[in-house]
Amino acid sequence: MIDLLTLFWLLLKASLFSTTGSGNLPILHQDLLARGWATDRQFAEALAIGQVSPGPTGLWVISLGYLVGGLRGALLSLVAITLPPLAVLAVAGFYRRFGGHPAMQGFVRGLSLAVTGIFLVVLFGIMRGVGFEPRALLIALCALGLGATRRVPVIGVMALAALAGILLYS
Amino acid sequence: MISKTEFLRAWLGIGLQSFGGGAATLYLIRRTAVERHGWLSDSDFTRDWGICQIAPGINLFGMAILIGWRALGAAGVALALLGMLLPSVAITIGLTAAYATIKSQPLVQAALHGVVPATVGLGLLLGYSLLRPLLAASRKEGRASLLAAVALFAGSALAVSLAHISVLAALWGCGGLFALFSWWRARWPR
Repeated sequence: MIDLLTLFWLLLKASLFSTTGSGNLPILHQDLLARGWATDRQFAEALAIGQVSPGPTGLWVISLGYLVGGLRGALLSLVAITLPPLAVLAVAGFYRRFGGHPAMQGFVRGLSLAVTGIFLVVLFGIMRGVGFEPRALLIALCALGLGATRRVPVIGVMALAALAGILLYS
Repeated sequence: MISKTEFLRAWLGIGLQSFGGGAATLYLIRRTAVERHGWLSDSDFTRDWGICQIAPGINLFGMAILIGWRALGAAGVALALLGMLLPSVAITIGLTAAYATIKSQPLVQAALHGVVPATVGLGLLLGYSLLRPLLAASRKEGRASLLAAVALFAGSALAVSLAHISVLAALWGCGGLFALFSWWRARWPR
């Protein structure tokens, strides 16, 4: 039997000790599997739904919460992932106070450079997941081109991509 | 003065349209907040995104909170989160319930095959728009600064992918190195 209060604490802890939407994955995976509250399969399903559903990919936790604890589990997940990011205001306040210092400006710029660099690694990983094959590369290139025109809404690009997937892969 | 209704409507639009994961969502936020409404500047956006990286939890939540706070204070935070999350959370829950019934359909699998690379394409575009202001700022400071910026950009990618350094360590490391570099430059200007 799942104890909802404990589930909430595990979700909150995982979110608090991660700095991205999927950084909580290893922590939650360990905690929930150890208690037998979730299975590997449920994790995989939740991650997949997080990819297709709109909004941050980090919403996969809400999907996991639903699979594990129904609607109540989903709402607990929502609260657990909404609270920790509020700390960003304190972080930004600290930045405002010491932001004029060249070292502080340098720190944030260095950090941002690393974020952009690691972003490429993440994109590479996502691409490797579907394979570096001509059809996938073509779709990626077309999405890049359509996005660069700034004329097509993102949801339009995604709809075209889904259509391309159905035409090319089924 | 930014209208609260318009602000909420813009975030609802982000929540509704942001299919394709985090990269697509950030891209959409940038397009809405910087390009369409001008709630913040290009360089503010890149800096806020940097601050979100060191704050706990989902970075896009932090981004919505920062932009909301800057625009309308506490009300802005509530409206931005509500707008971004109401549609996407409802759809996520609905999809989870629906997914179980159609998950084995080959058509669904095929559509996913198309959506994932498109996410990567839009992600590359976003990466470029994040990188551009950083390199422009360094170029203004001279060749040494530009060289340092390119080295950290490439070095962080290599450290995480090849040397399997933890992401957090790479972020703090690059921040620390560029902090030292900037401090040294300010201390002994040429």
